Amino acid sequence: MIAALAKLASKPWIWSFLGAALVWLAAIAFTAGYGAGGMLTAALSLSVFTVIVGVGQMFVITLGPGNVDLSLPANIGLASAVAMKVMDGDDRMVAVGLAAALASGLCAGVANYLLIWALRIPPIIATLSASFVIQSIDISYGRGLQIKPPPGFADFTNIQILGVPLIAVLTVLFTIGAGIALHRMVYGRSVLAIGQNIRAARLAGLKVEPIRFLTYSICGMLGGLDGALLAGYFRGANVDIGGEYLLASIAVVVIGGTSVAGGKANIPGVWGGALFLVLLLTMLNTFGVSAGVRLLLTGLIIVAVITAAGGQKTTR
Amino acid sequence: MKYAVKRIALCALASTLMAGAAFADTSDKKIAFSNNYAGNSWRQAMLNSFDIVAKKAVADKVVGAADVFTTADKEVPTQAAQIQNLILQGYNAIVINAGSPDALNGAIKQACDAGVVVVSFDGIVTEPCAYRVVVDFKDVGKQEIEQMAKFQPKGGNLLEIRGLAGTSIDDAVHSGIIEGVKTHPEFKIVGSVTGDWDQTTAQKAVATILPSLPAIVGVVDQGGDGYGAAQAIAAAGKPRPTIIMGNRQDELQWWKEQKAKDGYKTWSASIAPGVSTLAFWVAQQVLDGNKIPHDLLVPYLAFTQDDFEAELPKIAAGGVASHEYTQQDAIAAIKANMK
Repeated sequence: MIAALAKLASKPWIWSFLGAALVWLAAIAFTAGYGAGGMLTAALSLSVFTVIVGVGQMFVITLGPGNVDLSLPANIGLASAVAMKVMDGDDRMVAVGLAAALASGLCAGVANYLLIWALRIPPIIATLSASFVIQSIDISYGRGLQIKPPPGFADFTNIQILGVPLIAVLTVLFTIGAGIALHRMVYGRSVLAIGQNIRAARLAGLKVEPIRFLTYSICGMLGGLDGALLAGYFRGANVDIGGEYLLASIAVVVIGGTSVAGGKANIPGVWGGALFLVLLLTMLNTFGVSAGVRLLLTGLIIVAVITAAGGQKTTR
Repeated sequence: MKYAVKRIALCALASTLMAGAAFADTSDKKIAFSNNYAGNSWRQAMLNSFDIVAKKAVADKVVGAADVFTTADKEVPTQAAQIQNLILQGYNAIVINAGSPDALNGAIKQACDAGVVVVSFDGIVTEPCAYRVVVDFKDVGKQEIEQMAKFQPKGGNLLEIRGLAGTSIDDAVHSGIIEGVKTHPEFKIVGSVTGDWDQTTAQKAVATILPSLPAIVGVVDQGGDGYGAAQAIAAAGKPRPTIIMGNRQDELQWWKEQKAKDGYKTWSASIAPGVSTLAFWVAQQVLDGNKIPHDLLVPYLAFTQDDFEAELPKIAAGGVASHEYTQQDAIAAIKANMK
């Protein structure tokens, strides 16, 4: 009985991995096996950035209907500029720069929560308007210039152990920690409880507002960290560096089988979703389809995977 | 009869002399610059160049005012509303980098009907009453293959990085590259990805296609994507091909480092952000009463193995090479298009 339940519980995220495996197989079928390992290495490297913000977004979405952080792209952009300016090309300043990026992200997260809580603005509007403010700060602060990372930090993002990027290994450790926080700690359990029924959670004596505050702050900080890492990996900060993570951070959460309505979340699905998105891009690039067809197929395939994952949910 | 010919010649001489001089005084004319985005290094350089030239033109009393209006987002309706405001504010000319080639046509037509001169550049508008300052992007594409043939005389496989899908610029560069490959059949394009003229997007796209590609000798692209391609290729541990650059500081810096290492050779070309100043002078010339064709093809900015290092120190770190055009440059460009 317990085994059967565990099997059911593990189902929502299996679809994302299945999807990732399928597109990878399709890509290597096209090249007759050539470059299979290289594709996985590249996918692992690139997935890291989506996973980090995806985890933050997942906690926010799990808080319940309407909770979402749309300020992530702007937040990532600003944090990337802050990190690179503080590091200023000096390897000794890497730790300080990372701390500055986290602080920048924290500020964005706190600002989001204050708008939602103090002014009672719905999160979707609050975080979107915050993103305009953050982006404007970034444009005047970074002046649109690409600020380069210190060489040591840039090299760090490229280190591979037997084809496995070090940064991906560290991110796996981070997600294991996030999984423990979600399922085994009071904080994670509270987030799930609030998402299932905020009123019941409040009546049960949970500190609802502090938990929401903490969740938006953590999401902001993860955005900040992601900004610094992106600037390292892509060799330079810029305003648009986080542009794709508005859709991607939400997509990996949904593809991974986390409920958009909140109250139900899982960490492995974020990895599955991120790998799926990158391998999908790999497959379509390998096929050599034109940009228009690529966008069309990306949209259709995402819809198909979400339907497959969601269909499973309704039959339960 | 002879007399008549002489007279015509005299008239022609007089009119050519007059063409150089001002027909109308533009010192009380107001020019507005409508811009829809400021978030990248190219746009920042564009605004910077415009600021330098426009300020001087106002100080020299060539024009009465030259003000810059940038909308907060890339939205077309915002820019359309902005154009309507500029008409009401009584500007005589609007220099515009448009967010859409056709969605602004209604607002542009209103401006023309109100007697406002509209000069579009970079992001051009299709409304016939507006002027278009266009860089010969097709030639950029053709030249990329010509240059590649010099660096890789044996030919080989090429990877192409495309720009923002659906834009006229992407189509023009791409068609130039295709034409170039036709005249140089020793080259074969084995892969094509979309880099959106953005280093991050390009690096990601190249990283995903690289494992499935055969060995490549060169990368042809559209600027802003060369450095990202170089990073992706290095990260995958593949040999370094000839990567065409696009005048960005990080691209030229990388080129310089590679050149110092082993004499690496390539070529760099892009539209100079300072083309905003060329558009400014074209607007001034129109206000001046000069007859000017509505479509102006202007040269692009290119750097070769011999002169890129001299330019490098002039570009801000993380910026892009620019060039501020003068009134004379504008007149010369207009003349070249009259032929």
